[in-house]
Amino acid sequence: MTVLDALQDTLGDEHAALYTYGVLGARTSQAATPALYDALTTGYRRHRARRDRLRVLVEESGGVPVAAAAAYELDGPLLRVAQVQAEAVATEESSVEVLLALVAQSVGGVREWALAEATWSATWQLELGGGPRTWPGAPELD
Amino acid sequence: MPGRPLSRRTTLGSALAAPLVLAACDIDPPSRAEGTSAPTPEPPEDSALVASVVAALVRARGVLDAAVTAAPDLATRLDPVLVAHAAHLDLLVGAVPESEVPTAEPPSLPSRVPAVLTAVRRSEQRLLREVRTGCLDARSGDLARVLASVAASTSQHAAALADGAAP
Repeated sequence: MTVLDALQDTLGDEHAALYTYGVLGARTSQAATPALYDALTTGYRRHRARRDRLRVLVEESGGVPVAAAAAYELDGPLLRVAQVQAEAVATEESSVEVLLALVAQSVGGVREWALAEATWSATWQLELGGGPRTWPGAPELD
Repeated sequence: MPGRPLSRRTTLGSALAAPLVLAACDIDPPSRAEGTSAPTPEPPEDSALVASVVAALVRARGVLDAAVTAAPDLATRLDPVLVAHAAHLDLLVGAVPESEVPTAEPPSLPSRVPAVLTAVRRSEQRLLREVRTGCLDARSGDLARVLASVAASTSQHAAALADGAAP
Protein backbone atom coordinates (compact mmCIF):
# COMPACT_ATOMS: atom_id res chain seq x y z
CA MET A 1 0.00 0.00 0.00
CA THR A 2 1.24 3.46 -0.86
CA VAL A 3 0.40 6.75 0.78
CA LEU A 4 -1.85 7.52 -2.21
CA ASP A 5 -3.71 4.24 -1.66
CA ALA A 6 -4.16 5.08 2.02
CA LEU A 7 -5.34 8.61 1.16
CA GLN A 8 -7.89 7.23 -1.32
CA ASP A 9 -9.09 4.64 1.20
CA THR A 10 -9.55 7.36 3.78
CA LEU A 11 -11.37 9.59 1.28
CA GLY A 12 -13.67 6.70 0.34
CA ASP A 13 -14.40 6.15 4.03
CA GLU A 14 -15.16 9.85 4.46
CA HIS A 15 -17.71 9.75 1.61
CA ALA A 16 -19.45 6.89 3.42
CA ALA A 17 -19.26 8.69 6.76
CA LEU A 18 -20.83 11.84 5.32
CA TYR A 19 -23.66 9.85 3.79
CA THR A 20 -24.21 8.05 7.09
CA TYR A 21 -24.22 11.23 9.13
CA GLY A 22 -26.66 12.78 6.68
CA VAL A 23 -29.07 9.89 7.15
CA LEU A 24 -28.63 9.86 10.94
CA GLY A 25 -29.18 13.61 11.19
CA ALA A 26 -32.36 13.33 9.17
CA ARG A 27 -33.69 10.76 11.66
CA THR A 28 -32.83 12.75 14.77
CA SER A 29 -35.02 15.39 16.29
CA GLN A 30 -33.21 18.52 17.37
CA ALA A 31 -36.06 19.29 19.77
CA ALA A 32 -36.37 15.85 21.31
CA THR A 33 -32.67 14.94 21.51
CA PRO A 34 -30.66 18.18 21.22
CA ALA A 35 -27.39 16.73 22.52
CA LEU A 36 -27.40 13.92 19.97
CA TYR A 37 -28.43 16.29 17.21
CA ASP A 38 -25.54 18.61 18.07
CA ALA A 39 -23.10 15.70 18.20
CA LEU A 40 -24.20 14.52 14.77
CA THR A 41 -23.94 18.04 13.37
CA THR A 42 -20.41 18.40 14.72
CA GLY A 43 -19.48 15.02 13.30
CA TYR A 44 -20.90 15.89 9.91
CA ARG A 45 -18.91 19.11 9.76
CA ARG A 46 -15.70 17.39 10.80
CA HIS A 47 -16.06 14.69 8.17
CA ARG A 48 -16.91 17.24 5.50
CA ALA A 49 -13.74 19.19 6.33
CA ARG A 50 -11.75 15.97 6.21
CA ARG A 51 -13.20 15.03 2.86
CA ASP A 52 -12.24 18.40 1.44
CA ARG A 53 -8.70 18.15 2.81
CA LEU A 54 -8.28 14.59 1.55
CA ARG A 55 -9.29 15.60 -1.96
CA VAL A 56 -6.46 18.15 -1.92
CA LEU A 57 -4.00 15.62 -0.46
CA VAL A 58 -4.90 13.04 -3.12
CA GLU A 59 -4.40 15.57 -5.90
CA GLU A 60 -1.12 16.71 -4.37
CA SER A 61 -0.02 13.06 -4.41
CA GLY A 62 -0.82 12.84 -8.11
CA GLY A 63 -4.11 11.01 -7.87
CA VAL A 64 -7.68 11.62 -8.95
CA PRO A 65 -9.87 11.77 -5.83
CA VAL A 66 -12.16 8.77 -5.57
CA ALA A 67 -15.79 9.79 -6.02
CA ALA A 68 -18.61 9.17 -3.60
CA ALA A 69 -21.08 6.40 -4.34
CA ALA A 70 -24.71 7.31 -4.94
CA ALA A 71 -25.71 5.59 -1.70
CA TYR A 72 -24.22 3.42 1.03
CA GLU A 73 -25.66 0.48 2.93
CA LEU A 74 -26.44 1.17 6.55
CA ASP A 75 -27.10 -1.40 9.25
CA GLY A 76 -30.58 -1.86 10.60
CA PRO A 77 -33.59 0.42 10.80
CA LEU A 78 -31.78 3.25 12.61
CA LEU A 79 -34.92 4.63 14.19
CA ARG A 80 -34.22 4.57 17.92
CA VAL A 81 -31.70 6.86 19.58
CA ALA A 82 -29.56 3.89 20.63
CA GLN A 83 -29.42 2.63 17.04
CA VAL A 84 -28.48 6.07 15.73
CA GLN A 85 -25.74 6.39 18.33
CA ALA A 86 -24.40 2.91 17.61
CA GLU A 87 -24.21 3.63 13.89
CA ALA A 88 -22.41 6.92 14.53
CA VAL A 89 -19.93 5.19 16.85
CA ALA A 90 -19.33 2.51 14.20
CA THR A 91 -18.71 5.25 11.64
CA GLU A 92 -16.07 6.84 13.87
CA GLU A 93 -14.48 3.46 14.56
CA SER A 94 -14.13 2.89 10.84
CA SER A 95 -12.57 6.34 10.53
CA VAL A 96 -9.97 5.56 13.17
CA GLU A 97 -9.01 2.35 11.34
CA VAL A 98 -8.44 3.97 7.94
CA LEU A 99 -6.69 6.96 9.51
CA LEU A 100 -4.30 4.67 11.37
CA ALA A 101 -3.51 2.96 8.07
CA LEU A 102 -2.77 6.44 6.69
CA VAL A 103 -0.50 7.15 9.68
CA ALA A 104 1.45 4.00 8.80
CA GLN A 105 1.88 5.04 5.16
CA SER A 106 2.63 8.73 5.62
CA VAL A 107 5.25 11.02 7.09
CA GLY A 108 5.49 14.61 8.22
CA GLY A 109 2.45 16.82 7.84
CA VAL A 110 0.13 14.13 6.48
CA ARG A 111 0.95 11.76 9.35
CA GLU A 112 0.45 14.59 11.84
CA TRP A 113 -2.93 15.40 10.31
CA ALA A 114 -3.99 11.73 10.22
CA LEU A 115 -2.97 11.29 13.88
CA ALA A 116 -4.97 14.35 14.94
CA GLU A 117 -8.05 13.20 13.04
CA ALA A 118 -7.76 9.63 14.35
CA THR A 119 -7.53 10.95 17.91
CA TRP A 120 -10.57 13.17 17.32
CA SER A 121 -12.69 10.33 15.92
CA ALA A 122 -11.69 8.00 18.75
CA THR A 123 -12.51 10.60 21.39
CA TRP A 124 -15.74 11.69 19.69
CA GLN A 125 -17.09 8.16 20.12
CA LEU A 126 -17.59 9.00 23.80
CA GLU A 127 -19.87 11.91 22.84
CA LEU A 128 -21.91 9.40 20.86
CA GLY A 129 -22.32 6.92 23.69
CA GLY A 130 -19.26 4.81 22.96
CA GLY A 131 -16.68 3.74 25.52
CA PRO A 132 -12.87 3.97 25.70
CA ARG A 133 -10.87 1.17 24.12
CA THR A 134 -7.35 -0.17 24.57
CA TRP A 135 -6.48 -0.27 20.87
CA PRO A 136 -8.75 2.04 18.89
CA GLY A 137 -8.43 1.46 15.17
CA ALA A 138 -6.24 -1.63 15.62
CA PRO A 139 -8.62 -4.52 16.35
CA GLU A 140 -5.91 -7.13 15.69
CA LEU A 141 -4.10 -5.96 18.83
CA ASP A 142 -7.06 -6.57 21.16
CA MET B 1 -11.29 -0.94 3.69
CA PRO B 2 -8.23 -0.18 5.82
CA GLY B 3 -4.76 -1.44 4.99
CA ARG B 4 -3.45 -4.94 5.41
CA PRO B 5 -4.19 -6.52 8.78
CA LEU B 6 -1.21 -6.67 11.10
CA SER B 7 -0.63 -9.38 13.68
CA ARG B 8 0.87 -8.39 17.02
CA ARG B 9 4.10 -10.08 16.04
CA THR B 10 4.27 -8.42 12.66
CA THR B 11 3.54 -5.04 14.16
CA LEU B 12 6.36 -5.17 16.68
CA GLY B 13 8.60 -7.42 14.64
CA SER B 14 8.71 -5.18 11.62
CA ALA B 15 9.00 -2.15 13.83
CA LEU B 16 12.11 -3.33 15.62
CA ALA B 17 13.47 -6.36 13.79
CA ALA B 18 16.69 -7.64 15.27
CA PRO B 19 19.64 -8.09 12.88
CA LEU B 20 19.45 -11.84 13.55
CA VAL B 21 17.38 -13.94 11.18
CA LEU B 22 15.03 -16.25 13.05
CA ALA B 23 16.76 -19.61 13.31
CA ALA B 24 13.77 -21.93 13.47
CA CYS B 25 12.07 -22.38 10.16
CA ASP B 26 9.61 -25.21 9.66
CA ILE B 27 9.39 -25.19 5.90
CA ASP B 28 12.56 -23.89 4.31
CA PRO B 29 15.97 -25.28 5.20
CA PRO B 30 17.88 -22.69 7.28
CA SER B 31 20.80 -22.80 4.88
CA ARG B 32 18.79 -21.39 1.99
CA ALA B 33 19.10 -17.63 2.07
CA GLU B 34 17.06 -17.23 -1.12
CA GLY B 35 13.35 -17.19 -0.48
CA THR B 36 13.50 -16.22 3.16
CA SER B 37 11.82 -12.92 3.75
CA ALA B 38 13.73 -11.54 6.70
CA PRO B 39 12.43 -8.07 7.52
CA THR B 40 14.86 -5.24 6.96
CA PRO B 41 16.34 -4.15 10.31
CA GLU B 42 14.69 -0.95 11.46
CA PRO B 43 16.75 2.13 12.22
CA PRO B 44 18.18 2.17 15.75
CA GLU B 45 16.45 5.51 16.36
CA ASP B 46 13.14 3.64 16.66
CA SER B 47 14.57 1.49 19.46
CA ALA B 48 15.41 4.61 21.45
CA LEU B 49 11.99 6.03 20.61
CA VAL B 50 10.20 2.95 21.93
CA ALA B 51 12.29 3.06 25.11
CA SER B 52 11.24 6.67 25.55
CA VAL B 53 7.54 5.84 25.18
CA VAL B 54 7.95 2.89 27.56
CA ALA B 55 9.47 5.25 30.13
CA ALA B 56 6.54 7.63 29.65
CA LEU B 57 4.03 4.80 30.19
CA VAL B 58 5.89 3.61 33.30
CA ARG B 59 5.81 7.15 34.69
CA ALA B 60 2.08 7.49 33.94
CA ARG B 61 1.39 4.14 35.59
CA GLY B 62 3.23 5.37 38.67
CA VAL B 63 0.92 8.38 38.88
CA LEU B 64 -2.17 6.19 38.51
CA ASP B 65 -0.93 3.78 41.20
CA ALA B 66 -0.23 6.71 43.52
CA ALA B 67 -3.68 8.13 42.76
CA VAL B 68 -5.43 4.91 43.77
CA THR B 69 -3.33 4.77 46.94
CA ALA B 70 -4.10 8.39 47.81
CA ALA B 71 -7.81 8.16 46.98
CA PRO B 72 -9.03 4.54 47.03
CA ASP B 73 -12.54 5.66 46.10
CA LEU B 74 -11.19 6.45 42.62
CA ALA B 75 -10.07 2.88 41.97
CA THR B 76 -13.16 1.99 39.94
CA ARG B 77 -12.79 5.01 37.68
CA LEU B 78 -9.03 4.70 37.24
CA ASP B 79 -8.92 0.95 36.70
CA PRO B 80 -9.84 1.13 32.97
CA VAL B 81 -6.93 3.51 32.38
CA LEU B 82 -4.54 1.21 34.24
CA VAL B 83 -5.75 -1.78 32.24
CA ALA B 84 -5.30 0.02 28.93
CA HIS B 85 -1.81 1.28 29.75
CA ALA B 86 -0.81 -2.17 31.01
CA ALA B 87 -1.68 -3.54 27.57
CA HIS B 88 0.17 -0.68 25.83
CA LEU B 89 3.21 -1.32 28.01
CA ASP B 90 3.02 -5.05 27.50
CA LEU B 91 3.18 -4.68 23.73
CA LEU B 92 5.97 -2.10 23.65
CA VAL B 93 8.17 -3.34 26.48
CA GLY B 94 8.92 -6.55 24.63
CA ALA B 95 11.04 -4.48 22.28
CA VAL B 96 13.19 -2.93 25.02
CA PRO B 97 16.12 -4.85 26.52
CA GLU B 98 15.38 -5.88 30.09
CA SER B 99 18.03 -3.62 31.50
CA GLU B 100 16.50 -0.54 29.90
CA VAL B 101 12.97 -0.82 31.29
CA PRO B 102 12.90 2.04 33.79
CA THR B 103 11.35 2.19 37.21
CA ALA B 104 9.49 5.31 38.16
CA GLU B 105 9.68 7.08 41.50
CA PRO B 106 6.05 7.07 42.62
CA PRO B 107 4.88 10.62 43.18
CA SER B 108 3.24 11.68 46.40
CA LEU B 109 -0.24 12.97 45.78
CA PRO B 110 -2.70 14.82 48.01
CA SER B 111 -5.64 12.80 49.27
CA ARG B 112 -8.49 15.03 48.13
CA VAL B 113 -10.25 13.53 45.12
CA PRO B 114 -10.37 16.67 42.96
CA ALA B 115 -6.62 17.28 43.41
CA VAL B 116 -5.85 13.64 42.66
CA LEU B 117 -7.95 13.75 39.49
CA THR B 118 -6.18 16.91 38.40
CA ALA B 119 -2.81 15.20 38.88
CA VAL B 120 -3.98 12.21 36.84
CA ARG B 121 -5.38 14.44 34.10
CA ARG B 122 -2.09 16.34 33.80
CA SER B 123 -0.11 13.10 33.77
CA GLU B 124 -2.27 11.64 31.02
CA GLN B 125 -2.00 14.83 28.97
CA ARG B 126 1.77 14.66 29.29
CA LEU B 127 1.73 11.00 28.25
CA LEU B 128 -0.44 11.89 25.25
CA ARG B 129 2.11 14.50 24.13
CA GLU B 130 4.97 12.04 24.53
CA VAL B 131 3.22 9.27 22.61
CA ARG B 132 2.19 11.72 19.92
CA THR B 133 5.79 12.86 19.50
CA GLY B 134 6.90 9.24 19.26
CA CYS B 135 4.29 8.54 16.60
CA LEU B 136 5.36 11.48 14.47
CA ASP B 137 9.08 10.69 14.80
CA ALA B 138 8.84 6.92 14.19
CA ARG B 139 10.65 5.71 11.11
CA SER B 140 8.60 2.54 11.00
CA GLY B 141 5.04 2.98 9.77
CA ASP B 142 3.84 -0.01 11.78
CA LEU B 143 5.31 1.47 14.95
CA ALA B 144 3.73 4.85 14.16
CA ARG B 145 0.38 3.13 13.79
CA VAL B 146 0.71 1.33 17.14
CA LEU B 147 1.63 4.60 18.86
CA ALA B 148 -1.27 6.37 17.17
CA SER B 149 -3.61 3.77 18.64
CA VAL B 150 -2.03 4.29 22.08
CA ALA B 151 -2.56 8.04 21.68
CA ALA B 152 -6.18 7.55 20.64
CA SER B 153 -6.80 5.24 23.60
CA THR B 154 -5.19 7.69 26.02
CA SER B 155 -7.37 10.49 24.68
CA GLN B 156 -10.51 8.36 24.99
CA HIS B 157 -9.76 7.44 28.59
CA ALA B 158 -9.01 11.05 29.47
CA ALA B 159 -12.40 12.06 28.04
CA ALA B 160 -14.11 9.29 30.00
CA LEU B 161 -12.46 10.46 33.22
CA ALA B 162 -13.47 14.05 32.51
CA ASP B 163 -17.06 12.94 31.88
CA GLY B 164 -17.16 11.24 35.23
CA ALA B 165 -15.74 14.29 36.94
CA ALA B 166 -18.29 16.68 35.45
CA PRO B 167 -20.86 17.82 38.03
